[in-house]
Amino acid sequence: MKAITSFEQLEGYREKIKASQKKDLPSVLICFGTGCQANGAVAVADAFQEEIVKKGLKVGVNIGLKTTGCHGYCENGPLVVLRPKDVLYLKVKPKDVPEIVEKSLQNDTIVERLIYKDVNTKETIAAYHEIPFYKYQKRIALRNIGNVDPKSIDDYILSDGYKGLAKALTMKPDDIIAEVEKSGLRGRGGGGFPAGTKWRSCRAVDSDVRYVMCNGDEGDPGAFMDRSIMEGDPHSVIEGMIIGGYAVGAKQGYIYVRDEYPLAVKNLQAALADARAFGFLGKSVLGTGFDFDIKISRGGGAFVCGESSALMRSLEGKVGEPRAKYIRSVEKGLYDKPSVLNNVETWGNIPVIMQNGAEWYASFGTKGSKGTKVFSLVGKVNNTGLVEVPMGITVRELVEKIGGGILGGKKFKAVQTGGPSGGCIPEAESDLPVDFDSLTAAGSMMGSGGIIVMDENTCMVDVAKYFIGFLVEESCGKCTPCRDGLPRMHKILSDITEGNGKEGDIATLEELCDVLTYAALCGLGSSAANPVHSTIRYFREEYEAHIRDKKCPAGVCKSLITYSIDASKCTGCTLCSKKCPQGCITGERKQAHVIDKSKCIKCGVCKDVCNFDAVRIE
Amino acid sequence: MEKITITIDGKTVEAIKDQPVLMAAKENGIDIPALCHHPELENSGGSCRVCLVEAIQGGRSRIVTSCNYPVRKGLEIRTDTEQVRNIRKGVIELLLCRVPDSEVIQNLAAKYGIKEPRFFTDEGESDRNKCIACSLCTQVCEDVVGVSAISMQNRGRDKAPGTPYHKDSSVCIGCGACAYACPTNAISMKDEKGVRKIWGKKFKMVACSVCGKPYIPEAQVNWIVRTTGKERSFFDKCPDHR
Ligand SMILES: Cc1cc2nc3c(=O)[nH]c(=O)nc-3n(C[C@H](O)[C@H](O)[C@H](O)COP(=O)(O)O)c2cc1C
Ligand code: SF4
Ligand code: SF4
Ligand code: SF4
Ligand code: SF4
Ligand code: FES
Ligand code: FES
Repeated sequence: MKAITSFEQLEGYREKIKASQKKDLPSVLICFGTGCQANGAVAVADAFQEEIVKKGLKVGVNIGLKTTGCHGYCENGPLVVLRPKDVLYLKVKPKDVPEIVEKSLQNDTIVERLIYKDVNTKETIAAYHEIPFYKYQKRIALRNIGNVDPKSIDDYILSDGYKGLAKALTMKPDDIIAEVEKSGLRGRGGGGFPAGTKWRSCRAVDSDVRYVMCNGDEGDPGAFMDRSIMEGDPHSVIEGMIIGGYAVGAKQGYIYVRDEYPLAVKNLQAALADARAFGFLGKSVLGTGFDFDIKISRGGGAFVCGESSALMRSLEGKVGEPRAKYIRSVEKGLYDKPSVLNNVETWGNIPVIMQNGAEWYASFGTKGSKGTKVFSLVGKVNNTGLVEVPMGITVRELVEKIGGGILGGKKFKAVQTGGPSGGCIPEAESDLPVDFDSLTAAGSMMGSGGIIVMDENTCMVDVAKYFIGFLVEESCGKCTPCRDGLPRMHKILSDITEGNGKEGDIATLEELCDVLTYAALCGLGSSAANPVHSTIRYFREEYEAHIRDKKCPAGVCKSLITYSIDASKCTGCTLCSKKCPQGCITGERKQAHVIDKSKCIKCGVCKDVCNFDAVRIE
Repeated sequence: MEKITITIDGKTVEAIKDQPVLMAAKENGIDIPALCHHPELENSGGSCRVCLVEAIQGGRSRIVTSCNYPVRKGLEIRTDTEQVRNIRKGVIELLLCRVPDSEVIQNLAAKYGIKEPRFFTDEGESDRNKCIACSLCTQVCEDVVGVSAISMQNRGRDKAPGTPYHKDSSVCIGCGACAYACPTNAISMKDEKGVRKIWGKKFKMVACSVCGKPYIPEAQVNWIVRTTGKERSFFDKCPDHR
C-alpha cells in the first residue's frame, strides 16, 4: 500500500473499494470476540469455509464471509449474523453450519432452533435488531463492532473510517477542542471529566512536548467494554487519538492495554501497522505535515494501574502506584510533560463526533451527560452482556427491557453500579435516569459502566463485604486509610455476616467511610466507602437484622440461617435425603422428612432439588 | 522566591509560593502533625495522611495533605476544624492498629485522646514491626545516599521496605541514613564492638585515630572516596576531632 497523502486520495480510495463491493451479497458474519472464540467460534468459521467450498460457492463472488468483534451478547455465543437479512443465530455449533448454508444462504428460510427465544413471552425473533437486547440500544461507541472485520482497514474505511480525521485536519486545533467541548463528551473511564476541557487545559500549557494516552487497563471485574472496542474496532481508538494528538499538539500517543487482553493487543498492533502504511500515522499524517505515532504498552497487572498517575508511572517503567502530588497531569503528566489521558470509549467517540458534529452527539443523553454509554449488564437478569444506550435511560429500563427482567421470575432487589468501588441502588430508586450526576447523587457512581443486577436472594451486607474484600487485595498500600482502614472495615463486615456484629458497628463503619473518603490518597481509597455507605443508606434494616436479631433476611449468610423442612409441604419424595452430602436428612418414603441441624453444612442442595418448595431457610 | 500571603486558622501569614503548606505553617508557629514528609526529599509526603488540613481555594473546600499541598494566592487553610480533627484522629487510630508498639504513634494517639484502638491490631507481624510504610527510608537511600539498597516491597497491608529478595544487600554501605530518617524508629541498627548491624548485614567500622571510637563503616568510606574523590585520610578522624 502506498501511503495516502491527501484528503482527495482518501475519498478516492474509499470510492474505489466501495465500487468493488458486491451489493446485497448474502453474507455470514461470525463473531470472533474473546467470548465467542472461547465458545468455539473458530471451529464454526472453519465449518463455514469447508461448507462453502463443498457447495461450490466462492467468497466475495456469490457469498460474503467475515469475522467480527464482540456483539456483547457473549453468553449466547458463538454468534452468527446474516446480512443483508439481519438474521441472528445464537449458540451456533459446527454441525449447524451445513443447514445454515443451505436454508438461509442458498434459500430464504430460517433455522428456527438457532434464533432468539424470549424467556418471558416465549416468542421467537429472527431479526437481530428486533430482539430486546439490541432493540433499545443506540450504538455510537460500538457503531462498527460486529459489522467490521477488526483486522481489515478497508472495512473500517468502508464504514466512513478516517473521515473524522480528515475533517479535523482541515480545522484549527482550537476549533476541534471547541467542538469536543460543545459535544458535552465526558470521560468514560470513571471520573466523567469533560474531555474538551481536559484537552484545552493541556494545550494551554507552554511546552514543546505533549502526550496523549489511552487508558485500556479496564480492571473492573466483569467489565469488558474497553476490551470489546480495542478488539473489535481498534481503528476507532487510533483515529480518535490522532485527532486528539493534533488538537492538543502531541506527536506521540500511548495505548496502555491490560495485560490479560492478548487479542486486543494483537488487533491494535495490526491496526497500527495498517494505519502507518496508509499514512494515517507517522510522518506527515495524510500529507498535512503533522507527525504522530502511537505505541502500545502492556499493563502492570494491578487494578490500581488504571488510576491516571499510576498508569503514567507504569508507562515510564516505574512501579505503577499513584503519585502523591497536587499536580494535574494536563500540566505535568507523562515524563512530567503536559498530557491527556482518556479512556478507550472516550477516544472511540471522537471520530464520529468530528464527522457528525457536536450537535448531533449532544442530541443524545441528558442535560449534564451527553451521548451514550456502554454498560456491562451482568448478574441476575435474563439477558446479560454489553449494551450501549443513551444516557438517561432508567435503571428499570435497563433491567427490564434490555435485560429481559430478573432470572427465574425472582424479585428485583438492587443494582450495583460503577465497579468494585461503586454503590448499590435499590429497586425503589430504579426509575433513576442513569447518568454521571444522578448516580453520584444516589450514592453510587458511573465508574466504567458496570451494572450488576441483584435479586431478592442477595444479602446486601454480604455484597458490601465482597467488594471491600476485593479492594483490600487491590490496595497498593501507599497510604494509611486504604491500606489499614479497608482490612478493618472488612473485618467488621465479616463479623456482622457471621453473627458477631455489635451494637454501634454501623456508626463505626460510617466513621471509617469518612476516613477513607476524605483522607485516602487516590481514587481507589477515596471511593472505596461507596459499597458500604450506599448499602447502609438503603438497606440499614438488613444490617440491623444481622447485628440485633442475628438473622440474614436474604438467607445468604451461613452462620445466621438454618435449614428445615416444612412438614405440611414435604411429600416424602426422598429426593433431598438422597442428594444431601451430609446424609443428615431422614424420613420414611411418603412421610415428611427432617433435617438434623447439628450435621447440616448449609450447602443448599436440598432446597435446590426439592420440587415442592418444602425446604425453608430461616 | 515569590512571597505571598495566605491565611492559616484565621491568621494572615507570609509564605513562599509553591512551598508546602506544612512548611509555611511551621515557619509561623502552627503545629501540624506529620510523619512521612522530609523537606529535603522531593518525593516524600502524602503517605501517612496525618497532616490533613482543610484547604479553601476559589470558593472550593477540600481536605488535603499539607505536606505537599502548594501555597498559592488566596489560599485559606484550617488546621483544626472538627472534621479535620476527626479524620486525622481516624488516620492515627489506624496507624496505631498497624504499629501498636511504636512509641511515636502511641504518643500521637494519646494527644488525640485515643487510648485503645477499636480495631484489631497487627501486633506480631514481626518483619515489619514499627514500620508505617512511609517510604522515607527508601527515598533517602535512593535520592540522598544514591545507593538504592532498599525498596518498598509488596502491596496493601504487607507493604514494607526491604533489601532485594530479603537477602543481604550487595550495595548497602551501612550508612544508617535510612534509620535516621525513619519517623517511627522501625529500622534496627546496632553498633557493637566496631561492627554495625543493619538490614541483616554486618559492617566493619573505621575508628577515629584520636579518640579510638569506631564511627563510620568502611564500606561507606569506600563509597564516598569512590563517588566524590575525597581523600581517604580525611576519614582517619571522626567529625569531633577533625
Ligand atoms: C483505582 C482506579 C482505577 C481506574 N481504572 C481505570 C481503567 O481501568 N480504565 C480507565 O479508563 N480509567 C480508569 N480509572 C480512571 C482514570 O484514573 C482516569 O480518570 C481516566 O482514565 C481518564 O479518562 P476519561 O476522562 O476519558 O475517563 C481508574 C481510576 C482509579 C482511581
Ligand atoms: S488509596 Fe489505596 S490504592 Fe490509592 S494510594 Fe492509597 S493505598 Fe494506594
Ligand atoms: S443444606 Fe445441604 S447439608 Fe443441609 S440438609 Fe440441605 S442438603 Fe443437607
Ligand atoms: S544503610 Fe544501607 S539501606 Fe540504609 S540508607 Fe544507607 S545504604 Fe541505604
Ligand atoms: S522503615 Fe521507617 S522510614 Fe522506612 S517505610 Fe517504614 S516507617 Fe517509613
Ligand atoms: S464475543 Fe461474541 S458476542 Fe461477545
Ligand atoms: S506528612 Fe503529609 S502525608 Fe505524611
